[in-house]
Amino acid sequence: MNAQVNGRALVLEDVHKSFGKLQVLKGIDLSVAEHEVVCLIGASGSGKSTMLRCINLLEPVDAGRIVVHGEEITARGVDVNRIRQRIGIVFQAFNLFPHMSVIRNVTLGPTEALGMPRSEAEALGDELLGRFGLADKRGDYPDRLSGGQQQRVAIVRALAMQPDVMLLDEVTSALDPELVAEVLNVIRELAAGGMTMVIATHEMGFARDIAKRVCFLDAGVILEQGPPERIFTEPQEDRTRRFLQSIIDAGRM
Amino acid sequence: MSGPPELYQSQSGDPPLPTGERGSRILAPLRAEGARGVAIAVVSAMVFFTVVIVAVLSSSGWPEIRRAFFDGEVFREAFPKIVDRFGLNVFIFVVAEGLVLAMAMLIAVLRSLHGPVFFPLRILAAGYTDLFRALPTILVIALLGFGAPALRLSGVPTSKVFWAIVALTLVYSAYVAEVYRAGIESVHPSQVASARALGLSRRKTLRFVVLPQAIRRVLPPLLNDFIGLQKDSALVAFLGVTEGLRESQIIQFENFDFTPYVALALVYVVITIPQARFVDWLVARDRRRRQTGVGV
Amino acid sequence: MRRVLIGVAAFGLLLAACAEENPVIAPTGTGTPPATAAECTTANQAAFESPGRLTIGTGNPAFPPWWEGGESPGSEFEFNDPARGEGYEGAVAAEVATRLGFSFPDEIGFVAVAFNESFAPGPKDFDFVLQQISYKAKRDEAVDFSESYYDVNQALVAAQDSSIAGATTVAELADAKLGAPIGTTSLDVIEDVIQPSQEPNVYDDLALAIQDLKSGAIDGVIVDLPSAFFITAVQFTKGVVVGQFELESQEYFAMVFETGSPLVECVNLALQEIRADGTLDAIHQEWLADKTNAPVLS
Repeated sequence: MNAQVNGRALVLEDVHKSFGKLQVLKGIDLSVAEHEVVCLIGASGSGKSTMLRCINLLEPVDAGRIVVHGEEITARGVDVNRIRQRIGIVFQAFNLFPHMSVIRNVTLGPTEALGMPRSEAEALGDELLGRFGLADKRGDYPDRLSGGQQQRVAIVRALAMQPDVMLLDEVTSALDPELVAEVLNVIRELAAGGMTMVIATHEMGFARDIAKRVCFLDAGVILEQGPPERIFTEPQEDRTRRFLQSIIDAGRM
Repeated sequence: MSGPPELYQSQSGDPPLPTGERGSRILAPLRAEGARGVAIAVVSAMVFFTVVIVAVLSSSGWPEIRRAFFDGEVFREAFPKIVDRFGLNVFIFVVAEGLVLAMAMLIAVLRSLHGPVFFPLRILAAGYTDLFRALPTILVIALLGFGAPALRLSGVPTSKVFWAIVALTLVYSAYVAEVYRAGIESVHPSQVASARALGLSRRKTLRFVVLPQAIRRVLPPLLNDFIGLQKDSALVAFLGVTEGLRESQIIQFENFDFTPYVALALVYVVITIPQARFVDWLVARDRRRRQTGVGV
Repeated sequence: MRRVLIGVAAFGLLLAACAEENPVIAPTGTGTPPATAAECTTANQAAFESPGRLTIGTGNPAFPPWWEGGESPGSEFEFNDPARGEGYEGAVAAEVATRLGFSFPDEIGFVAVAFNESFAPGPKDFDFVLQQISYKAKRDEAVDFSESYYDVNQALVAAQDSSIAGATTVAELADAKLGAPIGTTSLDVIEDVIQPSQEPNVYDDLALAIQDLKSGAIDGVIVDLPSAFFITAVQFTKGVVVGQFELESQEYFAMVFETGSPLVECVNLALQEIRADGTLDAIHQEWLADKTNAPVLS
């Protein structure tokens, strides 16, 4: 086992991914430590979503490898379902199961994928829902919830699997501005609780607050990475500067 | 550990997403028009139907039609007999529908299996739906209903009703499998992605996430096919078994009168309308459980 | 609003105008009733579907022994062309037409009709239907029948190795699975006379009944006696005519006319003529002589 991957929660080594002729990831190298919060920033199309979906094996990588807690998940013959149970992912479009109540959305994974008894799963679900202010919504169906509530439920659903790593893919981008804060607060809590996270986001202020490290993705590679104070105030790369400038101009910082 | 509760309440008075009107869609435009619109609609409907009825009743052929199609005495004789025989139709289409719903599901699932190792099963399922949608139903019934007993093999059932049910099941499973398939494909891929992302296997994703949504979406076309099956249950008469339609034909030929057809039509109308309303109710009730439209 | 009403009213008027005028058949002619069939025809020229011709409706295919002689090119009829005037019904049709004053074969036309066209309401494209149709009192309310052109008994056909092949009494048929074509009085015989313990099968046509007889799905078929002989001679040579049934009131075949048709009288006159001068017997002798001997099941 490569010494570099020991003790690391998540390692991506030279990961490449193309969709047909379009090369999206052109050699991603990333190493995430236990309990570390890494934020991915970059323009649309830079490959942030694709990268997260590759970590979760929702997309197969074309080249390179991904190692989670010492296990190479991109190797042949790996049990994909088991890996995915260890990695939680939340998407921009919440994607709750509309035909199930909130509590059922949350307990489906634990009961069917982990084989947890229903009562235990519900207890876990109720605890998580309560922690994030959704206890009174447990019996509701997703269509009765606001966007912010749905996204919080989506996060709880991922947490119910008790993953080692959480991947968050622009989880507030689809929300009305006034609902963004409640979701960000949930994420803050998770970080404070020591969850290892990789977060793709447009919310620069939030990234600056919460991230241990910020990675700027550009044209399929991590162009620059470092602590948020450095990236946001003294970016080294020209393209990083231009990207941050465009964010400022758009009034989003 | 947990933050102050106020942080988790919606900042705006953000209302939940709409669940859709429960009222009839036919009346909705009328409501939109207002009282004047309603008045115009009602009056023009009344005028139209009055004119049609008067035109029909005053045509010179009407007395003949009335005698031949709406003879009270023949109706009174025919109706109870037809209802009695119709019990066989009910038996046939209820049993067949149960089998169809299950078998069609199997075929639809086989067809949606991924991976090269399942290729033969996919081809088999596709071939099945092609074949049995191509064959006229009456042909399948004739082949099985006349052919199978003619084989005189021991162990092969000779009951005509049995073979009619088998034939109807084979044919309708092909149509309903396609309806299921349409339903399955209409479930957004992000639903599958979310379920797989939790670590659910393909089979469990299908069972808990895809199929429940798929079936709810295709309830109206499923009912369509079931109603078609109810009519096609009469095809067992081709094999010689007397069911509702045949009984009405027998009385018809005895009396040289078409009223028994009207009696049979009445039976079909009486059983079909409640089914349509029931499915409407199911669909309205489940509207909230359908995807609220947010894609990837 | 006004435009809507005007439009609807105009549409309604259009509908009313389109309601077909159906000519009511009224007897023509005055004074003394006609003494011969030919006189009757002359007196009622206008009542014919196609004046100057006799148009007869019958079923397609035209089954033997009622129609014989084979098909003709250009004719829509299968198995036999009724216009040949062969077979029992074919010969009766030709004879009746001649007595009515039409020349055979030029002034006689045949149209293929479905069975229920003979009693459906609305204008017809034939003068009468000739198709092994039995007289029934209930039917008489909807149509008009001529007199008998053939007194018919129903018979039982079974496979020669069947358990009922040697039956001589009705009681021996009690447990048999029987079949009959729809629309015939065969079903009446089963229900009123035989009263078997098993439900009889009722088929769209005779061919399907014979199919089931051959495969053993049913033990016997009830059908009119001449057809029974034809079946065992041609279609099902392993079958036998077990016997025939005699009912209290004799069943008979008649031509079927629209209610109130004045042509009934003309045809009846023709039938009386051919019966009186022995022509009908001769026709029977020619086409059905070998198809009448079967024991009576009692």
